[in-house]
Amino acid sequence: MTSSGPDLSVQVAGIAMQNPVMSASGTFGYGMEYEEYLDLSELGAIVTKAVTLEPREGNPPPRVRETPAGMLNAIGLQNPGARAFIDEKLPQLREFGVPVIVNISGRSVKEFAQLARMLTVDGVDALELNVSCPNVEDEGMHFGVDCSSTGELARAVVDSTDLPVIVKLSPNVTDIREIAVAAAEAGAHALSLINTLLGMSIDIDTRRPHLGNVTGGLSGPAIRPVAVRMVHEVAREVDLPIIGMGGIMSARDAIEFMLAGASAVAVGTANFVEPATMRDVIRGIADYCRRHDVARVAELTGALRID
Amino acid sequence: MPRAVAHLKRRETVGPGHYLLHLACPEIAASAQPGQFIHLRVGDGTDPLLRRPFSVMLTNPDEDDVQVLVRTVGRGTELIADHEEGKQYDLLGPLGHGWPKPGPGEDIMLVAGGVGVAPLIFLADSLRTVEDRPYVRAIFGGADQDALVCWTEFASRCEEFTAVTEDGSAGETGLVTDVLVPEIERDRPQRAYACGPDAMLAVVAEICAGAGIPLHVSMEQWMGCGVGACLGCAIPAAEGGYVRVCTEGPVFDADQIDWERMNER
Ligand SMILES: Cc1cc2nc3c(=O)[nH]c(=O)nc-3n(C[C@H](O)[C@H](O)[C@H](O)COP(=O)(O)OP(=O)(O)OC[C@H]3O[C@@H](n4cnc5c(N)ncnc54)[C@H](O)[C@@H]3O)c2cc1C
Ligand SMILES: Cc1cc2nc3c(=O)[nH]c(=O)nc-3n(C[C@H](O)[C@H](O)[C@H](O)COP(=O)(O)O)c2cc1C
Ligand code: FES
Repeated sequence: MTSSGPDLSVQVAGIAMQNPVMSASGTFGYGMEYEEYLDLSELGAIVTKAVTLEPREGNPPPRVRETPAGMLNAIGLQNPGARAFIDEKLPQLREFGVPVIVNISGRSVKEFAQLARMLTVDGVDALELNVSCPNVEDEGMHFGVDCSSTGELARAVVDSTDLPVIVKLSPNVTDIREIAVAAAEAGAHALSLINTLLGMSIDIDTRRPHLGNVTGGLSGPAIRPVAVRMVHEVAREVDLPIIGMGGIMSARDAIEFMLAGASAVAVGTANFVEPATMRDVIRGIADYCRRHDVARVAELTGALRID
Repeated sequence: MPRAVAHLKRRETVGPGHYLLHLACPEIAASAQPGQFIHLRVGDGTDPLLRRPFSVMLTNPDEDDVQVLVRTVGRGTELIADHEEGKQYDLLGPLGHGWPKPGPGEDIMLVAGGVGVAPLIFLADSLRTVEDRPYVRAIFGGADQDALVCWTEFASRCEEFTAVTEDGSAGETGLVTDVLVPEIERDRPQRAYACGPDAMLAVVAEICAGAGIPLHVSMEQWMGCGVGACLGCAIPAAEGGYVRVCTEGPVFDADQIDWERMNER
């Protein structure tokens, strides 16, 4: 950082990041897939695809479908399992020299706790609990839509690791604040939101759903206003750092999330559209800070003005 | 870096709803292998949002020229059909694994359905200059004569060529597979290559497996990233689980695919 430039560094739940921009789980593989398209060492952090205890095959195709200004996905947590992740993916991820946040998912509180213990290893900087995946029957989602189970789960994971624990919230609930409060009371160190909105689309010629899984998670610019509103609501209710996401395509969008209360942001679907989006978002945030005389990007968090 | 900017030099209508794009793109012209694809950004905004994958049909490195055959099926391809000369496309590519090369002097069979002809034209073209050139036979099928787009580009690069349409408006009447079986019986090729609709590929795979002919297929699936990160383009693998069309494919050995699960939809 030159002395004249704004300070982009942020601290989220004890994770020191050189800037507030990270990848959203499941949209950036394990980093290496994008190595040829941007310099990963410039990122604030890398968040991995969900890791489960055992390998998962994922859902039958088609798994993705474009919708107006967004997309539906039903990948179904395909991943090689925690052991293979640690042995094969993590060593490469560490090479990029930025914090690694591992997104984890499980079928039971016990499984989440066991995963947390397994992943408490050198090279993992934090765990993000996917309590809100809409694409797998009887998984995550059923924790993420209910306060007592979210709390129980968060507590079990916090007790199983000394890593910072981020709880990723589902938007598919009546009042996201209640779930956020439950996670906070259980000892979570940060919250990330939002996961995808449950959606569906149909091929009218064949009269079949477009996705093999029938329903899927909606992401991309289409969900951004919902996500910004939820970050705003949660930020006013809970005193935990928030990682905001949902349809961020540009620095402008990222700043919107920060003003609403996010300490950091994650970029998901936009990576598919433009692999270098995160680089552009980081540069754009720096430009904004310069133009608006913001010395430290952290000053933007919650700087929304409502008269 | 596997990305480039391409300029639309010329857009040729090659049949109803079918367009041949002539792109100026030195990077792709110099590096694309037959069977590889490009992931093209159609618009600048959020509609359409995602990139669209297209096979490379021909390249001419001396003229920085890349040809892409596009069939209009929806929003993105209809926009392409309206683009004016000079339009700039941002693209990722060349992506994926292309066709394995045939052995020297091998007798090979190419089976194309509709726009599936594009990557096979590129393959046939690339074989023209190899030493001990293989003997190339081709079958090209479609619903009607309009679907046999760019057939002269295909036929002129093969030793033997058979056209077949479902309504008999061009060539023989029937499906490609109706022609493939007697062709194989007449003279068994040492290797086959196919690209077209999934249903066609499944039958070609069955026929070739029955006759003990190694078959390479180019597969399609809706894509997100195109680079292996989202797992959106998965198709069922013979060994269980799924393989990614964008990364392990789009060209696979036919026995890598679980055709039974492919047919479930
Ligand atoms: C590796 C690969 C190579 C391809 N090469 C060519 C090519 O050379 N020429 C060509 O015309 N098309 C090719 N396709 C198909 C092409 O990508 C789609 O037709 C295109 O993305 C449709 O975009 P759209 O916005 O017009 O359609 P949309 O509005 O998105 O969808 C309309 C319909 O198109 C079909 N479709 C959409 N996306 C895909 C897709 N990725 N694959 C298959 N079908 C799809 C579906 O039936 C859908 O209902 C290829 C696809 C792949 C995966
Ligand atoms: C293809 C795809 C796969 C995803 N996989 C995961 C996942 O494994 N775990 C998770 O917590 N979120 C997953 N998500 C949700 C994203 O991390 C993010 O919360 C959501 O897409 C909203 O951000 P966006 O609009 O920027 O994509 C996935 C999203 C997409 C599009
Ligand atoms: S399109 Fe994303 S993994 Fe193939």
